[in-house]
Amino acid sequence: MRRLRVGLLLCVAAFVAGASGTTGRIDAAAAGPEALLGVWVPDAAPRGLLTSKGKTPPLTAAASKLYTERRQRLSKGDASFDPTTWCAGPGMPRILTMPYPLEIRADASRIAFIHGWYRWFRIVDLGAGTADPPLPLTMGFPVGHWEASGLVIRTTGLSDTTVLDASGLPHSEQLTVTERLRVLPDGRLEDRITIDDPENYTQSWDTVLTFHRDASARVTDDVCPDRMARGEPAEQVAVARTKATRTTPISSRPAAVAANSVGPAPRLAGVWEPKTFGIMVPNAPLSSSGQDFVGRNAAAMQAGKIMQTAWVSCRPGAVSTMTMPREKIVVLESAGETTILFEMPRMVRRIRMNASHPQTLEPGYVGDSVGHWEGNTLVVDTLGFNGYAELDARGQPTSPRLHTVERFTPSADGGSIDIETTIEDPEYYTQPFTIQRSWKKSPARHPFEYDCMENPRQEDFENAYYVRERYRPLCMRVEGEGLAPSKMVCRRPQ
Amino acid sequence: MRLGVRTWAMLPWILATCFTAADAHHSTTEFDYSKQVTIKGSVKEIQWTNPHSYIQLMVNGEGGEAIQWSVEIGSPSLNINMGWRKNSVKVGDVVTINLAPARNGKPYGTLRVLTLADGQKLEGVAARVGARPGGAAPAPPSPAVPAASKEP
Repeated sequence: MRRLRVGLLLCVAAFVAGASGTTGRIDAAAAGPEALLGVWVPDAAPRGLLTSKGKTPPLTAAASKLYTERRQRLSKGDASFDPTTWCAGPGMPRILTMPYPLEIRADASRIAFIHGWYRWFRIVDLGAGTADPPLPLTMGFPVGHWEASGLVIRTTGLSDTTVLDASGLPHSEQLTVTERLRVLPDGRLEDRITIDDPENYTQSWDTVLTFHRDASARVTDDVCPDRMARGEPAEQVAVARTKATRTTPISSRPAAVAANSVGPAPRLAGVWEPKTFGIMVPNAPLSSSGQDFVGRNAAAMQAGKIMQTAWVSCRPGAVSTMTMPREKIVVLESAGETTILFEMPRMVRRIRMNASHPQTLEPGYVGDSVGHWEGNTLVVDTLGFNGYAELDARGQPTSPRLHTVERFTPSADGGSIDIETTIEDPEYYTQPFTIQRSWKKSPARHPFEYDCMENPRQEDFENAYYVRERYRPLCMRVEGEGLAPSKMVCRRPQ
Repeated sequence: MRLGVRTWAMLPWILATCFTAADAHHSTTEFDYSKQVTIKGSVKEIQWTNPHSYIQLMVNGEGGEAIQWSVEIGSPSLNINMGWRKNSVKVGDVVTINLAPARNGKPYGTLRVLTLADGQKLEGVAARVGARPGGAAPAPPSPAVPAASKEP
């Protein structure tokens, strides 16, 4: 244990020192953190996992029977054993088998895996000890450490509602996923994954996934329900290929990696939780169109309807995180980007530091954020919203004309952050207005998890009033009467 | 179950979370908080899921027929903060549930208090939501959370 602690300290020291350019790389572990940073694209996205020797995993008899049944269902087009088919959480290692890029970001305490599929991320805690999950989660509780060969991540606390791969390999809550990540000599990222699940497999087995760098690849704000609403599958079927070089030696990593390099001393990095929750924005200067909008919401509610907002439909916009702080956030800071990862609603906000908005913006839920420091205050300017977000529990609307300016000011002792947000949206508000929210340092090692699409129940959507037509659910769980089982049903968009 | 100091200290947070959850997924109009229904049955399934967690409870009807109740118990993050754990309730447990029923009249409601066979009690968010005329939820005490009457 003592050696491990010393090793961790050396790794962190090497990481920080290396980032500042004051020392060279002396071994693989010292080079590890920076070598992993950046965007990676799967070399392949296997629908079915095989062992590293190309064999079928060693299923127990009961698991083999279940797997055979799933394969038969799959051959008939029924993949409903896989929650990703209704945009719910993929689990581990399922998310690594999806044909989407992933981005690795890090600071001295934690590593973030930001996945390209539907805003999922994993926060790998680099502290000592093991996780003690109070409840199994879709993505579990990953804890990591550095070894000479690279990064080792052990994930426990995984919910058995997911599958290991798209072919339906089962797992139980006893599952432990151990990943060993390293950068290969040809520049690719190797993730050697060991599956331990005595309930479903007669022995532990491993499989290998590899990823390459692609200068054109980006992890963008993917919103699965929108793709389904367009009639597309919940998961694209193949890795999007580009003409970029498949492999890139470490020594010539693309510029995207530089944006991840550690910059000045972090001032906001860490895990935070709201000092107080807020769900209302009082006294917003609604214009007549804004009043009409809110009036319609109020009338529906007074008539006994259940109001459904963007948050309800699992498409929350970034502005909702500014006005309605909920649960934990993780902030990572680097020279080029401040990244905020939200537990609830699950979302990744990226703030490009000392940058400008592009001339043309593709409207989206999170908008385009640029930031700079003014003394001790991080000022974040965000444009490019799509108008599908509400400010509060009354459903006060926003439009694509929305413009926000947030001022993040950490306290002198580093224990809290005050955020002053100015909201301007001439479509629905007569003048800009400002709200205050505060966050405090959280003792948590991980954020918890919010899988909004996991279990949408028909009861919640009966007698509903949709603030925007887009918010109608595509899938819902229908509870049978009496002893009939419940089932998830997805409908085709009209 | 007597509420400990820690629970009372959490009350503003719990209420705030309750109301935020209401905003997040369904409004308080879905349930009639002016009513109390008590059912007893066998736990068929526990769904530790977002946005809400559920217990599916098999209850014998007046004619002896099996009726499946869906009881919303909270959300995973909220329940954990209220002291629930993975095995707090298990499939097959016989439990008594006091709930605020759904307004649609279906066998559906939101948990106030669950009582295990040994008398141990577990609370759902509705335990903190008292009744007001018309079944409207009360105003949470936290100044950060405005009165529910302002909610549509």
